[in-house]
Amino acid sequence: MDTLNFLMQGFGVALTPTNLLIALIGTLIGTVVGLLPGLGPINGVALLIPVAFAFGLPPESALILLAAVYLGCEYGGRISSILLNIPGEASTLMTTLDGYPMARQGLAGVALSLSAWSSFLGAFIATCGMVLFAPMLAKWAIAFGPAEYFVLMVLAIVAMAGMAGDKPMKTLVAALLGLFLSCVGIDANSGVYRFTFDSIHVADGIQFVVLVLGLFSVSEILLLLEKTHHGQQAVKTTGRMLFNLNEARRVLLINLRCGLGGFIVGVLPGAGATLASALAYMTEKRLAGPDGQFGKGDIRGLAAPETAIGASCCGAMVPMLTLGVPGSGTTAVMIGALTLYNITPGPLLFQNEPELVWGLIASLFVANLMLLVLNVPMIKVFTRILAVPNWALVPLIAIITSIGVYAVHATTFDLLLMVAVGILGYVLRKLDFPLSPLLLGFILGGHMEQNLRRALSISNGDLDILWSSGIAQGTWVLVALMLALPLLRLWRRRAARRPAEPAALA
Amino acid sequence: MLLQRLFLAAWLVPVLAMIHIGSAYQAPFAYEPVGPRAFPLLMLGLLAAGLVYLLIHPTPVEHDPDEPPPTAQSLRKVGLCIALLLGFALAFEPLGFIPASSLAGLCFARLYGGRWLPSLGLGVALAVGLYLLFDRLLDVPLPLGILAGLEI
Repeated sequence: MDTLNFLMQGFGVALTPTNLLIALIGTLIGTVVGLLPGLGPINGVALLIPVAFAFGLPPESALILLAAVYLGCEYGGRISSILLNIPGEASTLMTTLDGYPMARQGLAGVALSLSAWSSFLGAFIATCGMVLFAPMLAKWAIAFGPAEYFVLMVLAIVAMAGMAGDKPMKTLVAALLGLFLSCVGIDANSGVYRFTFDSIHVADGIQFVVLVLGLFSVSEILLLLEKTHHGQQAVKTTGRMLFNLNEARRVLLINLRCGLGGFIVGVLPGAGATLASALAYMTEKRLAGPDGQFGKGDIRGLAAPETAIGASCCGAMVPMLTLGVPGSGTTAVMIGALTLYNITPGPLLFQNEPELVWGLIASLFVANLMLLVLNVPMIKVFTRILAVPNWALVPLIAIITSIGVYAVHATTFDLLLMVAVGILGYVLRKLDFPLSPLLLGFILGGHMEQNLRRALSISNGDLDILWSSGIAQGTWVLVALMLALPLLRLWRRRAARRPAEPAALA
Repeated sequence: MLLQRLFLAAWLVPVLAMIHIGSAYQAPFAYEPVGPRAFPLLMLGLLAAGLVYLLIHPTPVEHDPDEPPPTAQSLRKVGLCIALLLGFALAFEPLGFIPASSLAGLCFARLYGGRWLPSLGLGVALAVGLYLLFDRLLDVPLPLGILAGLEI
């Protein structure tokens, strides 16, 4: 019953007036950021790190703010998906498939409220799962030594590539670039300056905020120049705003199923909301069989990915809090924010900072409830924000991004570096390289190197330590499976093509 | 496809250069078995291998239906935008936050299709508003630059 006690303690933290207000502000800002075309949770969370610092917020409040923004962004993203058919980011792509047709049929209000409800249920299931499993995992994770951590991080990197679908190599290359970039700067163990080219500005490494804002904000500004959807009209929200009981009953089973699935995918390091929503949609489509209207405005096709996204967002916080290994790009940013506060996420967090952990978990419940209650009546207001034209949006993004970068070191060099990183990010995105793995690699790189060196110091240079324990061996098996996954897919595709080819020839 | 290969090849060059630079790193006195160069070299080696693999088997680039393939005009705009971002970064400290942001705001708004007067209004409003918000309210010090004498 320790868990319940801690949870109560957490609610004590989350329900203080300041933290309630912070969660409220966070959810509102998050929803607006998520709504705006091109801005996703990574940008929202990254832009707010300097703000959280500037307010002098204590770490638990800062984390609550960032988590609320994260949930809010996911929430706002669906509004543009359903009303405009523009997915704010990859994970909401599945929402557009059935959400937009529903809106076209005059059911926009129903689609929005139903997706809000689904995502709430998903997040609720996942948060319950977190309460149950996170402390267990944290206790278990104390048995992890440096060698096990190193292998776990290898798994996180490889899992991203293995699950990336059609471009595993590009994902891997992006992650490796991130891992390499984390080596720039003075080496903490030996004092050697690595890859700094005698510049004092990168002596303490590439600043995390510079990298995130460059990769995601600056490259987005450049991409916005080319997008053709200016002036696309949002579908009017008329008629019934709320879904009825009958509809809720029809999707309840799907909510439960996809909530559980989304949570599990979210917990896997390196996977995340995109995979969760795609898996949920495909599974439900197959389960519904021929009588489903998937793709033409089936409410099941809307509920499935939304529940999964909500669940995986909360699930992604489990590895972040218990192992210090992020489950998604956004949680990687949150880990970066925590390290700025001098807090190292990991199994000891549950012992050393119970208020922070349980306060965060409790405020996830609170923020989800707030989003549900607030957003249904405010949909009309939010749809008006969608009409903000790019010419007003871009200067705002550009200036706030620059302030965020300048706030770290107050040097022009960081601003220039941000632009350079942004150009690189733009080119990479144009050539179809995913950027989240780069960020994840950058975050994991430092820990990975430290743990590898520590492990080899323990064994005095003997590489055997990396596969001597049971945990490490099990993780290596998973790594091998993840590496085999793209090969298996390739083989199956070839096998599927082979019988088709002779027919085409004939 | 050709563009991608060119980019990959261009990427391989700094990676190889980094391997060359990185292999010289030596700890002045070592008290652990793994020195400062093993991990970056391992990453760079794998990165180089991945790049070579992609050079041989490039994956086709999937275009978002929202993003038409680049034209000369859009590339020119991207170039302008990059120049603008660099100009803003360079002007940030010497000119000060408010003048630099007003100017940058105006130029950005124009570049993205705003009309002159609303763009100017937006630039100035954003610059002053964000300055008050961050410098005054949130204690993020922003440079005053040429307005230093005024000290609002």
